[in-house]
Order: sequence, then structure tokens, then C-alpha cells
Amino acid sequence: MDIDVDVCNGCRQCVIVCPVQAIQMIDNKAVVDEEKCVECSVCYRDADCPVNAIRRKKLKWPREIRIPFSNVIATHRITGISGRGTEEMKTNDITNRYGFGEIGVSIELGRPGVGTKFRNIELFTTRFSNIGVSYEEKSPVTSLLIDDDGHINEDVKEERVLSAIIEFKIPTEKLPQILEVIRKVEKDIDTVFTVGIAARIDKNNTEDIIHRISHLGFEVRPNAKINIGLGKP
Amino acid sequence: MTHSLHRKGIEKDLKEDYVVLAMFAAGINDKYDDSRRRFIRIGEIMKQNNPVNIMSERAWKFSPTITATFDDIELVKKVIHQLKREDLGISIVVSGLISEIKNILLEVGLNIHTVHFSLGTFGDRKKELLPNDKILEITTMCGHHTVSPQSVTHYVELIKKGKTTIEKSAAKLTKPCVCGIVNTARVIQILNSLVDN
Repeated sequence: MDIDVDVCNGCRQCVIVCPVQAIQMIDNKAVVDEEKCVECSVCYRDADCPVNAIRRKKLKWPREIRIPFSNVIATHRITGISGRGTEEMKTNDITNRYGFGEIGVSIELGRPGVGTKFRNIELFTTRFSNIGVSYEEKSPVTSLLIDDDGHINEDVKEERVLSAIIEFKIPTEKLPQILEVIRKVEKDIDTVFTVGIAARIDKNNTEDIIHRISHLGFEVRPNAKINIGLGKP
Repeated sequence: MTHSLHRKGIEKDLKEDYVVLAMFAAGINDKYDDSRRRFIRIGEIMKQNNPVNIMSERAWKFSPTITATFDDIELVKKVIHQLKREDLGISIVVSGLISEIKNILLEVGLNIHTVHFSLGTFGDRKKELLPNDKILEITTMCGHHTVSPQSVTHYVELIKKGKTTIEKSAAKLTKPCVCGIVNTARVIQILNSLVDN
């Protein structure tokens, strides 16, 4: 994003709405910190700039990769949907993406609101690839992996985005290894991240999987996303 | 999109916070002549049942998802009951307290198909960058994080100075979330507690 300092009247509306605090006032003018800015366009859409000083610049590779991982309205060319993730469990009643005996894992780096550089992805993916996981083919993050060892495209490593979701599937018995990696990485990583576990449920029995996760030392939140099985092909 | 998954809050507050989402399975049930009509019908059912927030109707015509937010589980039950009766064939996901959703599914005669559990937020070195829990309760209602923490602080200050109202502030804070999943009623409650403190 760009703010025309010659036009800016110093009202600070863009500073207030910026989700990653990338805009600061310098000499009573709003100035974008290019390094911090994740190109989410929230300032452009929601600051209601009274003098139209906020401009969207035409971005080049690799900076342009920030847009689909940050701007909620931008459609990702791989997934075909807006947002950073995929259909995952939301259409599982039709796709059977996660069957019985399988677990879907989603790790969203940078959430909530801290942001992340893509290089952080490798802290996880190099370890997960060692364990052996099936990355979600339509995930935007999977499209950045360049080999079977979990390395990502060198071009984008220093690009900063609002969040990026690693999505994959494992046989249920590999869950302890995955959660062990999460415990290790959380000590070193220079951002925050959220973890989600998706599972097919038989006869409304959610307790078994909750017990299994709790037994491994992780707390399961009381609120979840529940697919209620109304979808049809 | 895990966007309605990691909403912060204690169980008591989450009892008044549910998101209902409809989604096409790309290339499968979005290809029929009447697919979009059935999809829009879901939006109509959501709207008829008094959501506190809902994705704009303009987006129903092209979006692969429709979302609405409710502050009462009984309203969610009515929506699900109607969706079951009309059998529209589109995947429906309800986000909220597992125990409450399980109960209404039993009453309506449906079973849980798949659950996406939240294990919460991690990252020992950078958790100090997060705002306080009350502010996070508002900002995490938009899973795409379009609601900035400093905008919450800004409106709390304006309310304290008598320059705006809690209702107007809640509307402003809800606006960046294009999915319509920020629970406006809950934002009002949280703003009230922030102003009191």
C-alpha cells in the first residue's frame, strides 16, 4: 500500500484500522512501513480516508504473494476461493477428504494478527515431511513447497503476510509425532500460530478424540467447527 | 479457511456466539443449473432467523460460501431444522460450543459428521505481542484478522469521552469483516466491559 503524503491530512484513520500496525504518523503524515505492511488492503477499504490518499500499488513478484495471504477479498489462483485456506472439513460430508482413522491438521502461522514471514513455514514442514504427511494439494502453502523435504520457494522466504495455513492429513497414529513437533517449534518461532485438528466423528462420539488429544498434553477448546452432514454430491 | 475456529472467550460468553456457514464443494455440487438458487435459499433461511450479522446479499450471487452469525442457539436450531427439511444438499458447518451444537443436532435428528477442534494459540516468544484477552475476544471473531486491536482501543477511548456510542462503535468494528462473522451483540457486551474497566 502507499499513502500520498502530499495529499494526507493526518487524520490517523488508516493508522487505527491497520491490523498489523504498519502505518505510523511522521510529521503529521501517515507513512506505510513497507517491511511490516502485508498488503491486506484493510486501510484502503475501511479507513474511509477523507482525502483519498491511500493507493494500491501494482506489485511485482515476490512481493505480490503477500496479497492472497493477507487480503480477504483476493481470490487465490490455486484454491479458487478467497481466504488463505481450503474447503478442508467444511465439505467433508461430500469429499470424504478426512475418513475414519485419519486426522486433518491445520497450523495457521501469524494468527491472530501478528503476521509471519514465509521462512517460518519451513520450521514445520521440514519436520513434518520427515514424519510423512499428505499435504493438502489445493492449499496455497503447499504450492510454495519445492521438494519432498518440506523446503519452500527461496524467492518468498522473507515476504511477510497476515497468516499462512499449513494443511495436511495423517493416519491417526501419527498425531503424537505431529504434536511433539508443535511443542518443539513453538519455543523458537518468531511469531504466534493456531492449531486445528479435524476428525470424522462416528455416532456423535467427540469424546474419544478429545481424550486422545488431552492425553498428549494439549487442551481442546470448548468451541469448534462442526460439519452437520447435510451436503450431497 | 479456519476463520470461525479460534474465537477467544470463556464458555459463558461463547454460549451466545454461533456461526453458520454454507459452502459448495468445488466442481461437485456447484455445477448444476439450480446450484446457485439452492445456495441463495440457504442465505434466505439464515436471514429470516434474525442473525446478528450476515454476509452481504450481493456476495451470495458469486461467493462459494455464505455465513451468518447468531447470538442464540435456539435460532441456530431453527435454521438447521429448516435446512434439514428443505434438503438443499449443500454442506453446512456450525461453529460454536460443541456441547450446545451436539444437543440441538440430537433434537433436530442429525449427527455430527466431522469436527474441527481448536487447540488454541501457540508461540512462546511472541505471545507478548498479542493484545489483552478482552480485545482478542473481539479481534478473533474475524478469523481473517481484519479488525485491528488499536481500533478497539480507539473506540473504547471515544466512548469513555462521550464522543460516540457503544452501538456505533460496534458497527464500525464489525465493518471490515466481509464474511459477516463478527458477532455484533457480543462486541457490544465486550465494549461495555472494556468501558467499565
